[in-house]
Amino acid sequence: MEWEPKIVAFLCNWCSYAGADLAGVGRIQYPPNIRVIRIPCSGRINPLFIMSAIKNGADGVLTSG
Amino acid sequence: MTTKPDKVGAVMVLGAGIAGIQASLDLAESGYYVYLVEKSPAIGGTMPMLDKTFPTNDCSMCILSPKLVECGRHLNINVMTCSELVDLQGEPGNFKATILKKARFVDPEKCTGCGSCTESCPVKVDDAFNQGLDKRKAIYKLYAQAYPNAYAIDKQKCLKIKKPKACGKCLEACQAGAIDHTMQDDTVDVQIGSVILVPGFEAFQAKELSYYGYGKLANVVTSLEFERLLSASGPFGGHLIRPSDHKEPKKVAWIQCVGSRNCKIENGYCSSVCCMYAIKEAVIAKEHTPYELDTAIFFMDMRTYGKEFEKYYDRARNEQGVRFIRSRVYEVTEATDGSGNIIIRYSNEDGTITNEEFDMVVLSIGLEPSGEMIELAGKLGVELNKFNFAEPPSLTGVGTNRPGVYVAGAFSGPRDIPETVMQASAAAADSSVILSDARGTLVKKKEYPAEKDVAGDIIRTGVFICHCGINIGSVVKVPDVVEYARTLPGVAFADEKLYACSQDTGEQIKEAIEKYGLNRIVVASCSPRTHEPMFQDTLKEAGLNPNLFEMANIRDQCSWVHQKEPEKATEKAKDLVKMAVYKAALLEPVQGVSLGMSHDVLVIGGGVAGMNAALNAASQGYKVNLVEKSDSLGGIAKRIRYGMKGEDVQAYLAELASKINSSQLIKVYTGVEIAEVHGFVGNFVTKLSNGEEIQHGVAIIATGGNEYQPAEYLYGQNDRVKTLLELETDLADGKLAGAKNIVFIQCVGSRDPERPYCSRICCTKSIKQALKLKEANPDANVFILYRDIRTYGFYEDMYTEARRKGVIFIRYSVDSKPVVEAAGDKVKVTVKDHVLGVPVVIDADVVGLAAAIVPPDNSRLSQFFKVPLNQEGFFLEAHLKLRPVDFGTDGVFMCGLAHGPKNLEENISQAKAAVSRACTVLAKESIDVEGKCAIVNKKKCAGCGVCESVCPAKAVAVDPAEKVAVVNEALCKGCGACASSCRCGALNIKGCTNEQIMAMINAL
Amino acid sequence: MLRMQKLASAIQDAARMLLEEKKVDLVVGFSKGSLPLRSTPCFIRKPEDAAKLTWDCSCENNLANYLRKRQDRVAVVAKGCDARSIAALINENQIDRNNLFIIGVPCSGMVDRAKVEAALEGKDLIAVEEKGDTLVLKAIGVTMEVKLDDLLHDTCKVCRYGNPVIYDMMIGEPAPAKPEDSFADVAAFEALSPAERRAALAAEFSKCIRCYACRNACPMCYCTECFVDCSAPVWVNKSTGTDDNIMFQAGRVFHSAGRCADCGACDRACPMGINLRGMTRKMVKEVKELFGYETGVNPDEKPALAEFKADDPQPFLVKE
Repeated sequence: MEWEPKIVAFLCNWCSYAGADLAGVGRIQYPPNIRVIRIPCSGRINPLFIMSAIKNGADGVLTSG
Repeated sequence: MTTKPDKVGAVMVLGAGIAGIQASLDLAESGYYVYLVEKSPAIGGTMPMLDKTFPTNDCSMCILSPKLVECGRHLNINVMTCSELVDLQGEPGNFKATILKKARFVDPEKCTGCGSCTESCPVKVDDAFNQGLDKRKAIYKLYAQAYPNAYAIDKQKCLKIKKPKACGKCLEACQAGAIDHTMQDDTVDVQIGSVILVPGFEAFQAKELSYYGYGKLANVVTSLEFERLLSASGPFGGHLIRPSDHKEPKKVAWIQCVGSRNCKIENGYCSSVCCMYAIKEAVIAKEHTPYELDTAIFFMDMRTYGKEFEKYYDRARNEQGVRFIRSRVYEVTEATDGSGNIIIRYSNEDGTITNEEFDMVVLSIGLEPSGEMIELAGKLGVELNKFNFAEPPSLTGVGTNRPGVYVAGAFSGPRDIPETVMQASAAAADSSVILSDARGTLVKKKEYPAEKDVAGDIIRTGVFICHCGINIGSVVKVPDVVEYARTLPGVAFADEKLYACSQDTGEQIKEAIEKYGLNRIVVASCSPRTHEPMFQDTLKEAGLNPNLFEMANIRDQCSWVHQKEPEKATEKAKDLVKMAVYKAALLEPVQGVSLGMSHDVLVIGGGVAGMNAALNAASQGYKVNLVEKSDSLGGIAKRIRYGMKGEDVQAYLAELASKINSSQLIKVYTGVEIAEVHGFVGNFVTKLSNGEEIQHGVAIIATGGNEYQPAEYLYGQNDRVKTLLELETDLADGKLAGAKNIVFIQCVGSRDPERPYCSRICCTKSIKQALKLKEANPDANVFILYRDIRTYGFYEDMYTEARRKGVIFIRYSVDSKPVVEAAGDKVKVTVKDHVLGVPVVIDADVVGLAAAIVPPDNSRLSQFFKVPLNQEGFFLEAHLKLRPVDFGTDGVFMCGLAHGPKNLEENISQAKAAVSRACTVLAKESIDVEGKCAIVNKKKCAGCGVCESVCPAKAVAVDPAEKVAVVNEALCKGCGACASSCRCGALNIKGCTNEQIMAMINAL
Repeated sequence: MLRMQKLASAIQDAARMLLEEKKVDLVVGFSKGSLPLRSTPCFIRKPEDAAKLTWDCSCENNLANYLRKRQDRVAVVAKGCDARSIAALINENQIDRNNLFIIGVPCSGMVDRAKVEAALEGKDLIAVEEKGDTLVLKAIGVTMEVKLDDLLHDTCKVCRYGNPVIYDMMIGEPAPAKPEDSFADVAAFEALSPAERRAALAAEFSKCIRCYACRNACPMCYCTECFVDCSAPVWVNKSTGTDDNIMFQAGRVFHSAGRCADCGACDRACPMGINLRGMTRKMVKEVKELFGYETGVNPDEKPALAEFKADDPQPFLVKE
């Protein structure tokens, strides 16, 4: 089986998280290997969260806001 | 004897575009009940159709949607969609409005917005929202993020409504039972105290002007169509292609003033927004294309007169390579080679003719009032101007001839979003003035049972997994997820629900909380953005703190987007539930914070804006301190004699001053400045230069502006050279009667590297004065030397009149400015005429310089209130588009020239807007915040101050004595920038703690 | 008199004067160690003790470390890197500038004892003598003259700020200007593939015993509770797994972003000889390239990560 990276995404509630919802409303299909963590603002992303996600086995971290 | 009926504390807002939403929110937050009446099935108006917005290039939908949600969910805004006003009886303070509620055929209370119906509907209809560029179904939602998040049926197109025995596929698809094809129209009467008309505009029908080829040539599109082409939610997902053949265009042209500035079709006004939106579309189109896109804008005058617009234009021209072609377009035809390309035949400024070929042409269509509104205005007795706009009476900003009925937004005249928002707030303020006695009488407040104390209790999490009909259940194996949830730590109960959001499920959740002693609730269903508040309400009804709730989004971000991979989607759903459960275990109740406050207002600056703000606030019953640094009220307007429509400005000022002096609630301080400011929203303490101390809840900054003292064109050296304000006095005093040749020079000190902004009012003011001169002496030769004539909106009419009356307009370019030389007792003005291509020499008796509007030194106030200035020294608002009078600092507002150049009418409107925004604070008993804010662990804090530096709300600061950070909960927005920057881990965010986020990360 | 000795006596004079005139309660400087090239931080409270102060090419410690949150009035002997750290600490409210007197000393670099040891091939150094651009090293049976430049710490070799950026009194002649740091070492690391980088980091940090000497030596690491010690949440496991070691170091380095003066204190403190500067310098380079910011070089400037600018470059953004 082809290797699939695990992606953790930190998405700002007001824009990117809404964008991810919108992708759903538009039924835009994308790979299911992403796990989204909703945050109140991209300012909430402590760099240690990103490092922890990677330490916990994430192959990539998406921060968006 | 008749008694006057009591005032009604409710307002009807007609039209739910951005103006209607803003007015509704202001009023609802100021203690009034609002009926928001919208004819379409969703609120939002035009903004959702736009891709990006100028000058910030923000995504239109992204900035609008928080307001949509807030408006839609507001307890005191009754959103009436598919509704129209049919009659209005009564008088200001007490009207009866008759509203026709048209059948929607879908019950928005039951509809979950899942969209199964639309998938099954066989009828395809041109999608008007997408400008007909693609299809929707007969059962549809206006746009993806629409509020209410519910479908509606197009009565004209539905098969079953036409023939009750036909079709009915949607009925089968809808598991929520929300559809009823037999629904009937309904008429309701509501009692209201005032009406705000904000129906927006209609786009000009480009077909009316056949020479532009719209409707005949496939690759001529309108600017609104182009917005949809650019939009990621548009018909082509934001991929820029020609809709006719899906080819990527290499060259795109915009033609300006389509349906505007056109007296032949009686649209002799400027639509005000097209120049900027065309530049924006060109810039964004260039960003969209991975290849070098050639863009050209064909224009007559470039009217980038708004705040930060000129710089946007400069960047587009100089950095982004948008071509600007000053021209008159004669004809638009199709190339004969079958490419579908478009040829524009145009005349250059010097009269030569050029043909240029483009792949695609965009028509910058103007704004018109809708036919329905013209009709309704007639019924309501609201007078319209000659272009059928409800232009407000002079110096009211937002009034109409009918008392108690106000107007805002594009229906009052073509205008852009920030001005629309400003006016909407202003209309709310004026409504509030007449209704202030009834403030708070009709607003609703929900009561909840006392909150259970869960501190120290063992975690007992209840998990509810939603099928959402078949939306989740058909992809994600919900029973498996429920089984899995039961194995997770702390989970005491897990169950599945057909619709978690249905009313009976709400009851079941409450029962489960009681029966199983649940103290944390997780719902796995759709998006928390739309449904979290509803579930939190259920918790409150069950006596749990709403923050003991967490959601897992297994529909919008799982089943809908992984439809072909049910196994993996189920695994993902499990993970999402696990993350939510782990976080839930660490959730703690968050208590709101309530602080006492002063309800007084401080207005800084006693010019027209400040005086209007003071009067409006006092008329609403608030005590106002009006501080003016000079010795008398009036500001720069003391030097203005005529308004743009000929108003007697001095009489107006006298009237304002007398009203202020007779008001019991306004205390005027003249010859006084601000010396110190302490505190925050609700609790400001300001020290004046006379030593007095004022306690106030809000501050309105209206420090005004000055006229630039030119260093050019012999100003100050030759007394025949004057500024417009000096000329104004001479003109009024009849001192110019003998002048034969008068020259106006525009853009003196504006639109140059030192002040790269347009001063907005000078073109109109110069023309106004030119007309006065012509009126006094028709034989006088009046010349206006200009770069672009910027008579936006209805002022265009004055420009037309001036040309008709023989005022001579000569354009000069910035690299060959007019030369002014002393010549005996006259002044010799030499300018190169672009039409003739030769220098023109004028022996002028008087030269009028349209000198820039410059801000006073606002730096001290900027520091006092922690509010920013822009590069030019004007105050910079919280958001250029949607928060035009607010600051990032709560409780501080601004209006007038302090914000940027504008005319009297606009200053008045903005002053009222500032008061409206201030009233959303003042109408409350106390400063109440949700409490999801930053919290400092003093033991850990090293006092390094990084939090203070990064906080956008200025809500945290290092206490100089204690040397630790202190959070002001009234100001904190809970964004978390401080907590993320704090190395010591001393800062955390209530409701979104480091521990909770780490728990989610560790759950992976 | 030799250059270093001149500096030492000037420092002594300054300290004596400051203490005599009661301008300060304490002078922090260096005194001779018991072994050659082992100058050590020293605290002088009485004018008569000023003679204990010294200055030579082994005054490597960053004395900013001793200045945080003091109530007394302190004078400090500061070379370039100390001054940069001091400037950064003033910015972070850790030092009250009004209570600090900075005796600035130009610095041309400090000697790396490991390099001395290598030059002597492991023999014990018994004496050292300064001789222009060279040092004369003496061990039993060996005397050798080595170019000072060849013995300097790596950090000193690339340091452009030998002359203190802030001071109240400057001693001696300014050190000559040096060329811009090329960051060749960081560039070499960056040129590796992700897998190679991961392997390189793992190889380096698997050695870490989590003694936290690096953290304690750093003048900028002053949190009451370091994130590694925090239990709610547990950011990093306390055990010495390579992943957790990397997490610790990455967190440490990230926390020093825009604050690290590249003084090398962490590197010198490491008992396991881990190349800690490899990571800190990567961050220094990033900060310089992204924000045009160098720690403490312009004391009035807001630190890179403690300021919000609308026009910050954001090359990492994915745009449409």
